[in-house]
Amino acid sequence: MGRVLVPALRGLSFTVEEGELLTIFGPSGSGKSTLLHLIGCLDRPDEGEILIDGANVLELSDDKLAELRLTKIGFVFQFFNLLPRLTALRNVELPLTIAGVSEKEASERAEEMLRLVGLEARMNHRPSELSGGEQQRVAIARALVNNPKIVLADEPTGNLDTKTGWEIVQLMRKLNQEKSQTFVVVTHDPQIAETAHRIIHLKDGLIEGIKEAPRRNKQ
Amino acid sequence: MRLGRILAMAWENMKQRKLRTSLTTLGVVIGITAIIGLASLGEGFRLEVRERMQQGFELDNLTVIPGTLFAGLSRDRFTDYDIQNISKIEGVKVATQVMQIGNVTLHNKRNNKRVQAFVATAVNFTEFAKVFPDRLVFENGTLPEPGRNDTIVIGYKVNYPTENDTTPFAVANDTITLTLGVFIQEPYPHPELRNYNFTVAGTLQKTGTPGITNFDYWIFIPLETVRKIYDTLESDLIFVKVYNPEESERIADDIEGLFPPFKVTILVPLTFIRQVDGILTIVQLFLMAVASISLLVAGIGIMNIMTVSVMERTREIGILKAIGAKSRTVLSMFLAEALLIGTMGGLIGLLTGYGLSFGLAYVLSSFMQPQHQRSIGFQTPESPQRITITPVFSPEWTIVAFAFAIIVCVIFGLYPARKAAKLNPVEALRYE
Repeated sequence: MGRVLVPALRGLSFTVEEGELLTIFGPSGSGKSTLLHLIGCLDRPDEGEILIDGANVLELSDDKLAELRLTKIGFVFQFFNLLPRLTALRNVELPLTIAGVSEKEASERAEEMLRLVGLEARMNHRPSELSGGEQQRVAIARALVNNPKIVLADEPTGNLDTKTGWEIVQLMRKLNQEKSQTFVVVTHDPQIAETAHRIIHLKDGLIEGIKEAPRRNKQ
Repeated sequence: MRLGRILAMAWENMKQRKLRTSLTTLGVVIGITAIIGLASLGEGFRLEVRERMQQGFELDNLTVIPGTLFAGLSRDRFTDYDIQNISKIEGVKVATQVMQIGNVTLHNKRNNKRVQAFVATAVNFTEFAKVFPDRLVFENGTLPEPGRNDTIVIGYKVNYPTENDTTPFAVANDTITLTLGVFIQEPYPHPELRNYNFTVAGTLQKTGTPGITNFDYWIFIPLETVRKIYDTLESDLIFVKVYNPEESERIADDIEGLFPPFKVTILVPLTFIRQVDGILTIVQLFLMAVASISLLVAGIGIMNIMTVSVMERTREIGILKAIGAKSRTVLSMFLAEALLIGTMGGLIGLLTGYGLSFGLAYVLSSFMQPQHQRSIGFQTPESPQRITITPVFSPEWTIVAFAFAIIVCVIFGLYPARKAAKLNPVEALRYE
């Protein structure tokens, strides 16, 4: 028996508007994370195209994609994915450091970001000294510090208790409104999905339906 | 990403794993210590040997010997004509010929002592003193006056044959009877011992040169007189003094050109010293090549540790790539660690290497104190002072060894660093 290749996504097409808060909702194995990785230029699809600002990103080299991730995209992960050896501040500084921003400016901007997510008191703590919710706030601060156009969150509440998870959702909604950045949130929690402007239902690698959320309030 | 930040982050990473970093660095330290230690000690040894040889063989003196090793049986002797021709060669200061007579007995009538001289050398004192100005140092008396054919000079070991002799066999103006073996043709050819009386012009101080000519065992008699005794105008050796030692090889070629092929052998100290020097250099390089193996082993250690480190940090690499680090950035982050290990190990290794060489030099030098030498042999070399090896600090070797440390570390760090850079971000993020 050889390996059987199972396609995670089997043909889907949709558009995300600027400033939108979109959730991709579906059971595990439906291809949510793969879709998010594709949008985030972490992976390349076998077929199809991904347009960001009207340009097909698949035509770009790996280095250009990395640059795109650095400047236009912020990632928030289920397991926070902070560097355990760095303090919260250093973790938030990291994208700026990679971008070559001076140390002074990087730490100023990172501090400001941490204040925005309500963590000014925990800046010099390492991830192991922070609670799950705090870690996710650090991760959000890190995703936003470069002022990206798109923020991608992969099950941001999946590893948190309901109350903390809800706080994180509120934080993302607040940031989405304040900074009018585009948020794409992957979740399997219907309640969290409902908080978005629009919900894409994913099942077995196909879009089952797109739903305008009841709580949608277009400006 | 800025280089300073990359290095700072690499340094932070290394500080988190102190034991691992120190052990990896230790490998480099040992490698560089071995290389620098051997280079510095070897260079010191080589210089010491060269200096001693230069003391022993006056570099501006060539010795012309009749015959060669291959044609040793057909020895021709030298004549005044050869001396004239050699003197004409450009760069030759003075050429002098000597005759050598073996086993001469000396008897001093004043104190009735008898001594044996292994070599009696018949010389033209005026010329000879020009060739060996530094070697004819008188304990008593002077060089014979020019034109006097009845005066001799006695070497130190002839004058004081044993270590216990406190009074000399002879002093200036003593009358000495020399017993020489002479070959008589009439009435039938036979050897015969004959006595000749000479006056002592002077006695020499101990020179104790470890070269080919140790005057301590020699007595010097006027060439003209010996020529009359033996009824010959031929001589056994020619000493040539040149103006510039660097030219000595060219002059040796010119001298050789005056004679038919394989008729003479010329001892050129410079050539000899160069050969010994060359051999010592090869030995030194060989030792350093062996030492370099330890640095290569250290390099493999770095590769091993870094490969493990890349695996451990797979997730971290995934995160870095996800937030926008280019492959090149990840590569340089890991190479920076290798570079830092190389730099640290190299610097410490240089210090310990020079430290080791000075320590070893001290120990070796104390082993090599001159031992009591019994003067039994013919022309036994003397070692008047103890051998001291002073390690040499060589800027070239320092730079080469340091660069070698860094190059080895970076080369061996390249594979794991590339491995890290090539990781697929999605797979790396999934890695537990």
